[in-house]
Amino acid sequence: MADGRPTHPDGAAGSPRPPSPWRRRLAWALAGLWAAQLLLVAWNFAPEVDDLARRLLGGRVGQAVRDEDPFHRWLASLTRLIPPQATYLFLDTYETGKEMEARYHLFPRRHVLLPPPCPPGYLFHAILREKPAYLILRDQGKPLGPGLEAALAAGLVRIVPLPGPGRVFRVQAEIPQAGFYD
Amino acid sequence: MIESLESGARLLLGIGAVFFTGLGPLALVSPSRGARPRGELLALSFGLGALFITLWMLALTALERPFTLVGATLPPVLGSAAALGVSLWGRRGPASAPPRQAEALAGLDWLGLGLLGLILLFACLRAVIYPVWAWDALATWGFKAKVFFHRQSIDLAGFEAHNYYPNLVPLLLTYLYLWLGQVNDHLVKAVFPLWGALLLLLLHHLGLRMGLSRRQALFLTAFFAANGTVFIEHLFIAYADLPLAYYTLGGAGLVFLWLAGAAPPGSMPLAALMLAGMSWCKYEGPPLAGTILLAGFLTLLRLRPPGLLRRLGALAGLAGGIALGLWPWRLFLAGRGIQVGIDHVFAFYPSQLWQALPMVLATLLNPKDFGILWPVWVIALAVGGRSLWHSPRLFLILFVGGNLAAILLAYALAPTSAAEFPLYVRATIDRLLLHLTPVAALLAAQVLNPLNSPPDPAG
Repeated sequence: MADGRPTHPDGAAGSPRPPSPWRRRLAWALAGLWAAQLLLVAWNFAPEVDDLARRLLGGRVGQAVRDEDPFHRWLASLTRLIPPQATYLFLDTYETGKEMEARYHLFPRRHVLLPPPCPPGYLFHAILREKPAYLILRDQGKPLGPGLEAALAAGLVRIVPLPGPGRVFRVQAEIPQAGFYD
Repeated sequence: MIESLESGARLLLGIGAVFFTGLGPLALVSPSRGARPRGELLALSFGLGALFITLWMLALTALERPFTLVGATLPPVLGSAAALGVSLWGRRGPASAPPRQAEALAGLDWLGLGLLGLILLFACLRAVIYPVWAWDALATWGFKAKVFFHRQSIDLAGFEAHNYYPNLVPLLLTYLYLWLGQVNDHLVKAVFPLWGALLLLLLHHLGLRMGLSRRQALFLTAFFAANGTVFIEHLFIAYADLPLAYYTLGGAGLVFLWLAGAAPPGSMPLAALMLAGMSWCKYEGPPLAGTILLAGFLTLLRLRPPGLLRRLGALAGLAGGIALGLWPWRLFLAGRGIQVGIDHVFAFYPSQLWQALPMVLATLLNPKDFGILWPVWVIALAVGGRSLWHSPRLFLILFVGGNLAAILLAYALAPTSAAEFPLYVRATIDRLLLHLTPVAALLAAQVLNPLNSPPDPAG
């Protein structure tokens, strides 16, 4: 077929056979099933349609959607606190999905992820190596963990009073250069 | 309000330039005027434009030139204009007949169109009203786009993971940020429902070329779009899987038409460009594109058409498309000493294969995910019977079936812990299947089309 006119894709010449009744019935049965699953699709998206309509009517769209989230408001306050060229340690588990949200919004600040129950040697080594200006614990409901407690006790970090779902610590500019032992 | 209108206009201009950039290469590979209807040109030109603009942006970084609006846009647009000029100059003859006469829309057509319109309206609003929030959009595609825009280059400093992933989608978003003059990660998401609409348009036109009537092709398109929730969700979550599904449909659909003798001239170079798009779109793209070649070779060897060697050679030429999408990026990475992810092909975990099998089957059968599409695909195989194995439709079966097997095999090779494995499968299976679903829908429509029974294989 050089001119692009449609033929039967098997390349066979001649007109197609008339449809058999059972093939027609099967096609209609499948069309019925498909129509039924459409209800499931509609049911699944109904809450989103409702939210969408409310937002359109209320004019709460775009950035305003983000600003409704306390975690995002906290990140916005962190962008005012942490200088763009600084590094921060983010203490959280990857699986929560919050650290990548922080990385996305706090860019161009350099982001280093550490697990929250961090032993002192591990945390102190990360502070020495990465030279962060701030340390962020995502969930303030969680205990500080041995690493952070040791860093506070050693005067390596101090709490920054910033309201929000997490805790912020300023890493002291004068970091001791000695090695650390657990 | 005025600011929003201005941003919208800038976005439309940027998208318009993508379409225009794709028109030139499309005209070059389509020797005769009128060989492709407008809808098909529209559907194909965006994918080609996105491919060439983002490859050009890769070249800009390789040449150590910063991204600017003029620098990223003007050369591809001028190149396309030159290609259009050359192509129009060479076409002095009469236009070839359009593939199909216009038919008036009737009741059922409006129903199908209305359903598609509702889905696209919802997806478009859902995309542009909410900012980027989905996991991979924040972690990879959207984040890279933001970084590339601010650093004015493909600067991978600070990426611990996914730095070797192909960049068609992030660079296209960066390009649109250049048009917007800022990172606006809700407005830019309009490109995803647009891409979905173009995928549907492409599916519709492939259906027409396969011999379906316009109503049947419209029903096929609506059947695919409104089958479960996975496709609709991908219209607004800003993942690279929807563009990959688009390029896969283009590549596999064009190769199928070529095998069936129903493709217009120039379809194989176009298919090669679609395979380039697959390879530059996602890490899974090159192997997926490789399976199009493999399924094509096996189909030709099975059918043994006249001129077999020549046809095998033409099919092998598609490898050039994979190389175009793959090697510029690989060379760029090698030049910067960035290691590409290692596939754990020597670590086979049989237990994972058996663990993944019921999960994959559950996703295929779950009406919430893909509606009744996959059961219909199986019914189509049963109805088609033996005749399928003696026709070019074998290509579609080998491509889809082979990839279903490959997905299972890939899970058996995944280096995850026992605790993580079920979560890993659940998080990835729907999008891996999405890459194949438009092609599966094509085969189902072909076989089950009640008004156009397949010809008798005996004669």
